[in-house]
Amino acid sequence: MSSHSEIEFKGYALTSSDPLQWSDLQVVPIKPKNFGPHDVEVAITHCGVCGSDIHTLTGGWGALSKLPLVVGHEIAGKVTRVGDAVQEFKVGDSVGVGAQIGSCGECRACKHGDENYCPKMIHTYNDLYPDGVETQGGYSTGIRAHEQFVFKIPDGLSRRDAASMMCAGLTVYSPLKVNGCGPGKNVGVIGIGGLGHYAILFAKAMGATVYAFSRGTKKESDIRKMGADYVINTDDAEFYKPLQGELDIIISTIDYFSPDRPLKMYLSMLFVHGKFVTCGLPDADNTLPPIHAFDVTLNGCYIGGTHMGSKKEAEEMLQLAAEKGIKPWVEELPMSKVREAVEGVKSGKARYRYVLKQDLVNYE
Amino acid sequence: MSIPEIEFKGYGMISTDPSMWSEFQVVPITPKNFGPHDVEVAIKYCGVCGSDVHTLTGGWGKKPDVPLVVGHEIVGHVTRVGEAVAEFKPGDRVGVGAQIGSCGECRVCKAGDENYCPKMIHTYNGVYPDGVRTQGGYSTGIRAHEQFVFKIPDGLELRDAATMTCAGLTVFSPLKVNGCGPGKTVGVIGIGGLGHYAILFAKAMGATVYAFSHSASKEADIRKMGADFVVSTHDLDYYKPLQGTLDIIISTIDHFSPDRPLKSYLSMLRPHGRFVTCGLPDADNPLPTIHAFDLMYNGCYIGGTHMGSKREAIEMLQLAADKGVKPWIQELPMSQAKTAVEGVKTGKARYRYVLKQDLVNYD
Repeated sequence: MSSHSEIEFKGYALTSSDPLQWSDLQVVPIKPKNFGPHDVEVAITHCGVCGSDIHTLTGGWGALSKLPLVVGHEIAGKVTRVGDAVQEFKVGDSVGVGAQIGSCGECRACKHGDENYCPKMIHTYNDLYPDGVETQGGYSTGIRAHEQFVFKIPDGLSRRDAASMMCAGLTVYSPLKVNGCGPGKNVGVIGIGGLGHYAILFAKAMGATVYAFSRGTKKESDIRKMGADYVINTDDAEFYKPLQGELDIIISTIDYFSPDRPLKMYLSMLFVHGKFVTCGLPDADNTLPPIHAFDVTLNGCYIGGTHMGSKKEAEEMLQLAAEKGIKPWVEELPMSKVREAVEGVKSGKARYRYVLKQDLVNYE
Repeated sequence: MSIPEIEFKGYGMISTDPSMWSEFQVVPITPKNFGPHDVEVAIKYCGVCGSDVHTLTGGWGKKPDVPLVVGHEIVGHVTRVGEAVAEFKPGDRVGVGAQIGSCGECRVCKAGDENYCPKMIHTYNGVYPDGVRTQGGYSTGIRAHEQFVFKIPDGLELRDAATMTCAGLTVFSPLKVNGCGPGKTVGVIGIGGLGHYAILFAKAMGATVYAFSHSASKEADIRKMGADFVVSTHDLDYYKPLQGTLDIIISTIDHFSPDRPLKSYLSMLRPHGRFVTCGLPDADNPLPTIHAFDLMYNGCYIGGTHMGSKREAIEMLQLAADKGVKPWIQELPMSQAKTAVEGVKTGKARYRYVLKQDLVNYD
């Protein structure tokens, strides 16, 4: 493969602002980032479909100001070009790119290796570079990114499997790591979809005991195969009562908070100073159910949030996945079938993550 | 000193008429049935806590049984110990805080976190398994299981230690749990009894302290307490220059107002910083509504806390003795409890009232 393959940047984009057309994506040309010395260019082979893509396309996270918009931030592909200052990557490397594509590099968060909390962070799509170029995502043939946001995929991990780790995996891996998941810890996972299934796989890989919470019983046998030690049906109105004080960490993937499910039910399952982390990001009009100070007082527990993960966490996660042979439950579709995938995510059909195989250009 | 026989009596609320919440009468008290692990304390001083007011007014939702003697910032001298007690002897200077019982057997108790035992018993307005009601420290004496009695170190006056057993401990525990120490930056919201202790202890632990207050009149005091920065929350944009500055926020907010969204406080936290609500508002006052986004931008945490363990209490009292921590207290005779509780309700305390027991002279 030549070292300066010319990528024809194009992708499946939202072109209409009619909310009924949110899943009707058309192929459009893309203007990529202006290539700089720290940048890496990636020919995309796979892109996972994330809940964020749906929240964005439907306008649930706010009206879109710039169309056309190409979403997708669970990207895997091959390096085709590197800037002069890049040492970590070379042409041909298998790499991934997640939900963040820029940060300032200078602030305290960046200097501490927490670039995913930089106040000036740039998202992989629907955002803007300082020079005015719009960021376009991975339902496309290629992307350019600063090397800080490109992660090498270790040997033993396929691009198909690594793709959805770039956002879904990292989004749950980071709070597991931050909150000390490991042997001897009890981790609850609420909601077993794309994020939730990764939380089970990673928490088990890190040595914890895992309690999986799911509505109904239809996913139970899959959840046991994923490795969960206990499966709890949350349709049972009292599901939380036998588990008071049992859990050290709860990874919540709840994507819609219902007022008839007070947070205090979940919080009561935490051990002293346990952590409930909301990884799911609902629509802008869906706030957390009301909490009283009493709800966090009885066990001194914490409710927290999380935002993607740092490069350091991403590399650690990918290495763990390769070493422990973590296999995500992925359904692969050609990228031209993106409509089926995004509608499937919206209606909760994914078992447990769709990955689109890029089919506009053949890079093999 | 000869060991007095305690005549247990105290200043109790006797009427459930809400307008009589601060009217106290001297009432006899049935103390705990004395057991082998118990310690009996002749009370010298008792601090006045926001909890006392929330309980007396019914604000916490539970209509108290009367007569009710409140008060859980207790100090005095040991008069009697049960046969199994090895840690204390008569004459020792000790304190008792807001908790008086736990099961001792659950995972939480065995981990040394008895302040989170699901079967905890509170120092007042609670009930022992044998049916005896717990009555608090606006009184002549109290009996408590030794796990809930803390020795006051030399170098720390009883009068100063009293309010540490609840107010001090309530802020010391989350500071400790969340790693307060040199190199850390702590914000304290609301400088009353709890808040002033948060400044004193955070400084004693080596942190940099930002104090947030809406009372311009307190600024000089706050600087004397040792706060490095004083921020007036009257300025609606006060939090903007402080984005991402704080590791820990100790919130003593006692009433959450919907026009003060939590997100402005949360934005001041560093990645994974902790906002701990130490203040416990009335039952009808929930936290302001939050969206998951408010927690996402800096991956921060909102938490709660409940008193502290004996281990934390001992550490706190030793720190106070070692570093000469001096709380800002106003002493009143216990017969003036009405003035004190009404002063707390209207925010007048500078910064904690301590009642000197005046029903019986133990000297």
